[in-house]
Amino acid sequence: MCGTVGSVEPETEPVLREPAHRVSRRAVLMWSLEALVGVVVLLCGQVAWWFLDDGSRTAHWVVAGVWLVLSAGYVVGMPRWRYRVHRWESTARAIYTQSGWLWQERRIAPLSRVQTVDLERGPVAQLLGLASVTVTTASAAGPVTVHGLDLPVARELVDALTAAAVAEKDDAT
Amino acid sequence: MTDESGGWRRLDARMLLIHPLETLIRLLPALIAIVIARAGSDGNDRWELVALPVILAYGALRWLTTRYRIGEGQIELRRGVFTKQTTTARLDRVRTVELTAKVHHRLLGLAKVEISTGGGGKDRLVLDSLRLDAGRRLRAELLHRIDPAVTGLPAPSGAPVAVDDVPHDVSPPADEELLVQLDPAWVRYAPLTVTGLASAAAIVGFASQGLSRFSDEGDLFRDGASRVAGLSWWLDVVLVLALVSLLAVGAYVLTFWGFRLTRNRLGTLHTRRGLLTSRETSIDAARVRGIRLDEPLGLRLAGARRLKVVTTGLAHEQGGGSDWLCPPAPDAVVTPLALRIRADEAAVTGDVVSHGPAALRRRLTRAVVPGGLLASAVAVAQAGWDWPPALLALVPLLLVGAVALGRDRYRGLGHAVTPDHLVTRHGSLDRRRVVLDRTGIIGWKVEQSFFQRRAGLATLVATTAAGAQHYDVVDVPVEQAYAVLAEVSPELYDQFH
Repeated sequence: MCGTVGSVEPETEPVLREPAHRVSRRAVLMWSLEALVGVVVLLCGQVAWWFLDDGSRTAHWVVAGVWLVLSAGYVVGMPRWRYRVHRWESTARAIYTQSGWLWQERRIAPLSRVQTVDLERGPVAQLLGLASVTVTTASAAGPVTVHGLDLPVARELVDALTAAAVAEKDDAT
Repeated sequence: MTDESGGWRRLDARMLLIHPLETLIRLLPALIAIVIARAGSDGNDRWELVALPVILAYGALRWLTTRYRIGEGQIELRRGVFTKQTTTARLDRVRTVELTAKVHHRLLGLAKVEISTGGGGKDRLVLDSLRLDAGRRLRAELLHRIDPAVTGLPAPSGAPVAVDDVPHDVSPPADEELLVQLDPAWVRYAPLTVTGLASAAAIVGFASQGLSRFSDEGDLFRDGASRVAGLSWWLDVVLVLALVSLLAVGAYVLTFWGFRLTRNRLGTLHTRRGLLTSRETSIDAARVRGIRLDEPLGLRLAGARRLKVVTTGLAHEQGGGSDWLCPPAPDAVVTPLALRIRADEAAVTGDVVSHGPAALRRRLTRAVVPGGLLASAVAVAQAGWDWPPALLALVPLLLVGAVALGRDRYRGLGHAVTPDHLVTRHGSLDRRRVVLDRTGIIGWKVEQSFFQRRAGLATLVATTAAGAQHYDVVDVPVEQAYAVLAEVSPELYDQFH
């Protein structure tokens, strides 16, 4: 170890607690449906292969078996795992999210640096009355997105964030 | 010319020469195709005689329709022959001003002015072109205006500046300090950088393509090729090395000839460089968010480094390296220079906190696993397809190389927090040390992959509006990551603590 440079070690182990709120329970359904769409695309490929290739069927069954098991695990497991991870919190000064499943990340952006606030609703999200909110800062690397919020919650969040962004007159870079 | 009264200024009239020239060059492939196509037929319609005046007229129209003005706190650019386009930028958002002069510009004493107001390439105003001194004057006008000491003075915007009245002597003002100037001896570092090698490779690729077109004709190339093939392998290697070095040196000279970095009274950094195409970049001090010291393996072994600036308003990795504050140069030059830009000795030269045994293990696995896979592939290929047994010598070489790389990458890994800066260093072949202003950090990410979570590591990402937009502290123990976050942004940490 080289010497610590000006780094004041706090007495307690520094930990960032989890964000306070979970996303909507229906987000699990949304992610499942979205995963299912991907699986259907794979299925189309399998069917096309079945009709184009008249050779031995063994290879077809092996490949089909493998991806069926994998996608079943994906469609059932991924959304639940994600739901356990995804959390968000917005205070008067910052927005804080936790997301991902295999790769997980926490993002914090101070509201003083917020440039735009977007509310997005994909087709599946519209069906389920969900929305996602994206907050961008002046950094191209730093958009903070909360997926799978109930629509009223999302609208409320957008209003709060917009008010905070408008209050800030600075260049935000 | 009546609209000059509205404060509108035009580009330099000499662009009447350059615009048609550029249009001609752009149309050259089409013109050649036409000439070749007609060579076979006996028709003698001379319709390039029609094309020429059209091109000239288009150039003139481009000049006539392009106007710009500065006033009411903004710069406006109007252009477009068929589609009118007005671009407006607020003066207080101007971050960098760049003057570029290609060879034909320089012959006529002109320079293209690029004014950048945002983070990327999309937010720029291009004035192609003004007279060099007018461009410099405009630059001074733009960059000084955003300085409160100057904006406090009566605005110089009132009457339009008669561009032709600008005095011709443009010797640098006395209040400019020279920070660094290229020493021709530094050219020796050119072959040691990846950039130098890449430009050499590009030139080789381009040349070989050109040569292959002629290779069917003449026995000259075949003779040459067979002579080269007849040489022993080590001579080939020496030849290739010599050629690549020569090309890298050539590229270095073209890009950095006459490089000088100055700083004026207001802190604006100003670089000037280029042998054929000359380029001047001015970076407002208020937009600088830090510096980056590059020490790729080759330079490190030779005791050299290079310095870049982390700033908003320059498109990241923009071609031509506008963000370079110093080309590859000896440590003894670069380090003091870095200290003059960011006077924080601990951040620029101090030790960094290394990331511990888990990070070392991860560096080693990530180097050895691909190296091992490659080695076993070589071994299998040797056994299965009767490849020359000499290849087996590669196997231990690959493994030793992988371990050495992993260890060196760990040695390079580290971070530090000083009262004003966050420092992060990583990499082996492309090691870099970034000194980022704490005030320039506008958000945080803590990323953990599945394997990082098992190892108790995380990648702490500081997002910023400048440079690469994010700078990462890689594979830091997760509690150290939060400690850094807590120290740099206590107001955020306290809320979610």
